[in-house]
Amino acid sequence: MDSKKLQEIAFLARLRFAGKELDELTDDLNKIMSYVDKVKELDTRSITEEDLYPHLQENAIRKDEIGTSLGRDELSKISPKFENGYIVVPRVIET
Amino acid sequence: MKYKEIKEGLASKKFSSQEICETFLKRIRDVEPKISAFIHHNEEKILQNAKDSDKRRSGGKELSPLDGIPIGIKDNICILGERTTAGSKILENFVSPYNATVIDKLNNHGFVLFPGLNMDEFAMGSSTENSAYQTTKNPFDTSRIPGGSSGGSAAAVAASMLPISLGSDTGGSIRQPAALCGIYGLKPTYGRVSRYGLIAYASSLDQIGPFSNDSEGIEDILKVISGSDLHDATSSKEPTPNFSEKLDLKGLKIGVMEVGSEWSEAIQKKYKQMIEYLESKGAITTKLDFSLNEYSIPVYYIIATAECSSNLSRFDGIRYGYRNEDGKKLEDLYLDSRSKGFGKEVKRRILLGTFSLSSGYYDAYYGQAQKARALIRKGYDLFFDKVDLILQPTSPTTAFKIGEKTKDPIQMYKADILTTSVNLAGVPALSIPAGLDEEGLPIGMQITAKHFQEGKILSLAKIFESIPEFSIPLPREIK
Repeated sequence: MDSKKLQEIAFLARLRFAGKELDELTDDLNKIMSYVDKVKELDTRSITEEDLYPHLQENAIRKDEIGTSLGRDELSKISPKFENGYIVVPRVIET
Repeated sequence: MKYKEIKEGLASKKFSSQEICETFLKRIRDVEPKISAFIHHNEEKILQNAKDSDKRRSGGKELSPLDGIPIGIKDNICILGERTTAGSKILENFVSPYNATVIDKLNNHGFVLFPGLNMDEFAMGSSTENSAYQTTKNPFDTSRIPGGSSGGSAAAVAASMLPISLGSDTGGSIRQPAALCGIYGLKPTYGRVSRYGLIAYASSLDQIGPFSNDSEGIEDILKVISGSDLHDATSSKEPTPNFSEKLDLKGLKIGVMEVGSEWSEAIQKKYKQMIEYLESKGAITTKLDFSLNEYSIPVYYIIATAECSSNLSRFDGIRYGYRNEDGKKLEDLYLDSRSKGFGKEVKRRILLGTFSLSSGYYDAYYGQAQKARALIRKGYDLFFDKVDLILQPTSPTTAFKIGEKTKDPIQMYKADILTTSVNLAGVPALSIPAGLDEEGLPIGMQITAKHFQEGKILSLAKIFESIPEFSIPLPREIK
């Protein structure tokens, strides 16, 4: 992975890096990638689709009932910017 | 004081919850400056809760026999009205508007919560050195790490600041710090305990579990926090049993592994001693083939980072958590809030996960890792066709020095070589104290069982607990 590819991936994850941090990260990730590449050695041809989802043996379905959820008061306390009952965000449509 | 003594002392009214909580708070004031186990901590609230518990008990209205027992909480488990930081700057000022299911359950039993225990940011790490706030020190030697990611939860119990605590374990984050701090730490079966309100790292691997200074604490807390939950679709409907089984070593089949050349000498020696002890009491040991273990860390890092890249996308600076408004556009708000809010290791893992899920790489990495995970899980199924329990060291070494592995992420990842496959398979495992090495550092051993057989694990743990050469006295003085 070069730093250009890393920038592409970083944008997908909505992260940005520059300068020394970018170089260090590219270096670290290349080391980690060559370590995790080991999984490719394993022969996994015996594994079927059903083997892949062991935790989902049965559906967990609950009744469609109205429960409590967070109200505006609670949201106003945790939101970084909250005015008149709404979470404030920057202008979305650019002019 | 052992958990068991606190439980009995409260029940017999030998002391009150206020008295016992004040004793622990004093101990925290004395040793916390050397240990740094807590990110935040509110004495007044704790004492108020202890007084409330005493009122209930003196009026004969205790919520359970465990009413008034103090318990520490890792800072990624949401408590209504408390700061819950997950060890991250992005949640520095986040005050949870709801309780995790495990917190509701503890409250319903009357426990006195001690929140705010330090951890690696978003539970990503093996030493607490990735905490955005502080590195917790090992109570046995403060120049060393306590293990991680639940290092605060482990160190607080090992330093006798608390008898029990909760942590979370995704690849070893309860068992490894328990081992390195000389106490008990259990990762329950995946699904045994609701994850609702646990700040998610890797949802198919995460599990909340207890730390304790004795086996009874593990058993009691597991009973309290287990059970299915409508808020967690992956929680199991498996009934919660009593967890204390009669276990006869005679004829018990125990799986063991080849001694690893990379394990420290003291661990090799202790492991052989434990096996000899079991055999001398009539247990039948069988050597199992753990050759898939060398794949478990690569598989773990692909799956865990893929899941974290998705889970952590919710931290966007909009609805809660840190927001950076230096830029003008919405795009800048996302980029700046996340880039400044997350620490280095978290960003590294998000990137790795985003990469392995991206178009063109998905099959080779994530797809292959899922298949490899299935192989590892099937491997455990085969083990448990042959044996009742597996005994292994929890960690290949005792506690390492602060800073020793921070420069090389892969060396740090390898600290979890003996623990990650357990999460991949979803089986339960407990780390128990097993004695000290020549430097006076704790050695931990891991007992693993089939899904939902925590009771069997605890029974073996109790047998070892009664043998002095495998027990660890916790340090009174912190140096």
